[in-house]
Amino acid sequence: MSKSYKDNLPITASALTDEFMRFKRGSVTRRHFLGVTGLGLAASVMSRGLPGAFNAEAFAGNLGTQMSLATWPNYHDPATFENFTKATGVAVEVNVFGSNEEMLAKLQAGGTGWDLFVPTNYTISTYAKLKLIDPLDMSKLSAFSAATESPRFTHEGTVDGVTYALPKNWGTTGMSINTAKVKTPISSWKQYFEVAMTEADGRAMVHDYQLTTIGSALVSLGYSFNSIKSDELAKAEELLIKLKPHLYGINSDYQPAMRSTDAWMTMCWTNDGAQLARDMPEIIYVLGKDGGEIWTDFYAIPKSAANKPAGYALLNYLMTPENAVKEHIANGAPTTDSRVLAMLPADVTSNKIVYPDEAALTPLEFGAAITLTDPNRAELMARFKAA
Amino acid sequence: MRAFITAVYLFLYAPIALVVLLSFNAGRNASDFTGFSTAWYGKALSNTFLMQALENSLMVAFISAGLAAIYGTMAAMGLERLGKRGRMLFDGLLAAAIVVPGVVIGIATLVALVQLFALLNPIVAALWPTDSPPQFGFGYGSIIAAHGLFSMALVTMIVRARIATLGRDIVEASADLYATPFNTFRLIVLPQIFPAILSGFLLAFTFSFDDFIIAFFVCGSKTTLPIYIFASVRRGVTPEINAIATLVLTASLLLILLSRFLMRDRPSPVPSE
Amino acid sequence: MAMTIATRKRLVTALLIGPSAAWLSLFLVLPFIAILVFSVGERAPEGGYQAAFTFAQFMNLPARATAFWNTMILAPVGAFFCLLVAYPTAYYLAIKAPARYRMLLVSLVVVPFWTSLLVRTYAWIFILGARGLPNLLALIGLPDVRLLNTPGAVLLGIVYGYLPLMIMPIYVSLEKLDCRLLEASADLGASPVRSFFNVTLPLSLPGVATGVALVTILLLGEYLIPQLLGGGKVFFIGNALVDLFLQSRNWPYGSAIAVTLVSVVVLIITLAMRLAWRFAGTRQVDLV
Repeated sequence: MSKSYKDNLPITASALTDEFMRFKRGSVTRRHFLGVTGLGLAASVMSRGLPGAFNAEAFAGNLGTQMSLATWPNYHDPATFENFTKATGVAVEVNVFGSNEEMLAKLQAGGTGWDLFVPTNYTISTYAKLKLIDPLDMSKLSAFSAATESPRFTHEGTVDGVTYALPKNWGTTGMSINTAKVKTPISSWKQYFEVAMTEADGRAMVHDYQLTTIGSALVSLGYSFNSIKSDELAKAEELLIKLKPHLYGINSDYQPAMRSTDAWMTMCWTNDGAQLARDMPEIIYVLGKDGGEIWTDFYAIPKSAANKPAGYALLNYLMTPENAVKEHIANGAPTTDSRVLAMLPADVTSNKIVYPDEAALTPLEFGAAITLTDPNRAELMARFKAA
Repeated sequence: MRAFITAVYLFLYAPIALVVLLSFNAGRNASDFTGFSTAWYGKALSNTFLMQALENSLMVAFISAGLAAIYGTMAAMGLERLGKRGRMLFDGLLAAAIVVPGVVIGIATLVALVQLFALLNPIVAALWPTDSPPQFGFGYGSIIAAHGLFSMALVTMIVRARIATLGRDIVEASADLYATPFNTFRLIVLPQIFPAILSGFLLAFTFSFDDFIIAFFVCGSKTTLPIYIFASVRRGVTPEINAIATLVLTASLLLILLSRFLMRDRPSPVPSE
Repeated sequence: MAMTIATRKRLVTALLIGPSAAWLSLFLVLPFIAILVFSVGERAPEGGYQAAFTFAQFMNLPARATAFWNTMILAPVGAFFCLLVAYPTAYYLAIKAPARYRMLLVSLVVVPFWTSLLVRTYAWIFILGARGLPNLLALIGLPDVRLLNTPGAVLLGIVYGYLPLMIMPIYVSLEKLDCRLLEASADLGASPVRSFFNVTLPLSLPGVATGVALVTILLLGEYLIPQLLGGGKVFFIGNALVDLFLQSRNWPYGSAIAVTLVSVVVLIITLAMRLAWRFAGTRQVDLV
């Protein structure tokens, strides 16, 4: 801290007047003025109570001083936000969620305070239909290059010709297995559930997320990942309820448990799989031969966002290839942008966890929009958790 | 017996000791203890979001407990004067405010306010003279309201119990000596019930400051300290959280010591006026 | 304007009661009416609520039976374990503790309340996790012990979180105990054990009842401890409620469960009060 102890002393009336006059003349900054007069705390409370009361000084443009991002666990390089704050003066608050349903529920209940969030491909059409997200003003997103994006992964960001969301990265939902603890080789969801109830009894995890947990159970039974057929869902429920007493936990943030070896295997997203394998080589990442999910995560701006300029600024910052490269190296998810791909080091692009062979991707399915709002899948998941 | 008591205190304090210890950890994770450092205190104090959450929590707790202390005391005095049926109704509501689980209070407040805002906002917008009418929404107001409900019921109960032990005779004596009812209250009743009001206020403050589940539903875009901590548990707790918890603990310990000290020096609770 | 004394008195009463009455109506009665109305509604297609009049939500209550029974069993069991630890502690504090240290020791029971329950519970995640106690157990030849995400861990968290709340009322009732009664009992030839069961224990029962009722009622709505130490596997009705609002977005069903939970709480309290009245004769047992 650079402040001296004097900063905390009560200020005299004449000193306050002097400081105020200097502040009015503009010879000191607002921050200095508030600091020396001890009004900082009062002002920070008041300025939130009265919007616009202290907006006289803005950092770089009109971005304000803070914003909020809703994203997934272990999904960013913390340095990205530190650098963004250095560049713009905007501090970024990161909130973490474990499912798209949770984000949707928050937005539906109103007043999330998010200025940017990270929905998955299959949810965007619903968000657009419910008018919970804004169409993007592309003029504020000059760093984005549609031409270098791979449409296979990014087409769902556009609904009826209007762009609502820009791609963050794509990825897969597979399984991470600690081979020091689990000796049975696993290559399918069918085997995953079998081993979870036998060799890895009490040590396996599933997501707190209907799409992947129900989806993988469906796949293991030979059905589609996206099924909403009631008889197939009933079979999946039966399997999950049988599985539940054997589980270690139901949680979408499985990295801490995998790292501490409390859990031995888990349903896992590409980026977490890559991070775990990087730090603990005994943890391998496997895609189901019988199926599973392939996905793209996007950035979108909620209609209710309080600081949209900052939301756009951060989005544009993240779309800049130089910044995106660092993000991708840190979080280990595959990019949708060929500009970024070209800049990534060879050890990343040759990593089979991050960029699997096309053949391994063939059985995988993208999530379907209907699964987000289907009441039976929602209730099945809630019932499974409460069972 | 002594071994058992020692074990109980160890049980109570082991996690707290761990929190304090980890707040001085130089490493980032609880699992790697790499050395002694006070760096996390600096980080915590310069983390805008953490500080803002702390500030929000202090403000919400102070206002909700303060309002609860004032309105609760007024209610406790007014209940004396209420008819039997009114008093029973009020008693029932107060009891309900205390025993209904926090999670239900949170949900019910959310559900009711969502509807209420949807109803009020268009009306206000239609009547408002300019183009930017105020919007009702979740935030400090809704947290204070929901916390204040429990707190007010708590204060009312505590103050009422104290009033019940007061002799009527001293109040009547005061009236006989031609004191106005207000002066009787100020000079006779208030000094006697003040400790009850204060302990009600402190309980209410503690409750609000530590509440997670009610605020979880009604906080809107505002973050209180427990909500911030809950979010960071999911994000991976850094020693920053341990540092701020240690600071809060130290502050409350100092407050306890201070109140002990002040209590000891006060000669008697009877005012000298 | 002339005002009779009666009108004036009524006005003052109204002024005194007014704010709290308004608060109770707006933030207790109105919300409760809202969830009653919602509980007979339907889930909107995208989640949330849409108006209807159906008892389908209540018919579906058995789908949360497990969570309900978990709560109904673990709440009193948790309160009981709390009591097992709290009673001897309170007894020691009130009767055995050296007078010089008594207030200090009592304060030390309350102090943990001033550190966030969340942070303290998180500390238990670390202690019970594989790198904590199981790591030590492995050293003495018990490899791969799993403590976290078990009912035992949740129970431990409950006892830990609610212990001070159980100790305090028992301590207060024991502290009021007149030592001369114990002396009289001893003078009349009763053994210490007999004195305890015939004198101390019965006189401390109001404190025990208060503590058990308080902890049980709070546990019925518990969310955090099972969430953090149960890993989504040990589910309370509070967790099911949060799930319905913040994941599956079924507001009507959630409202129906909330209404049911409140009814059960009220029923339990009424029964407990009846029981306490019968036990205590005309003596008052205050719950708070």
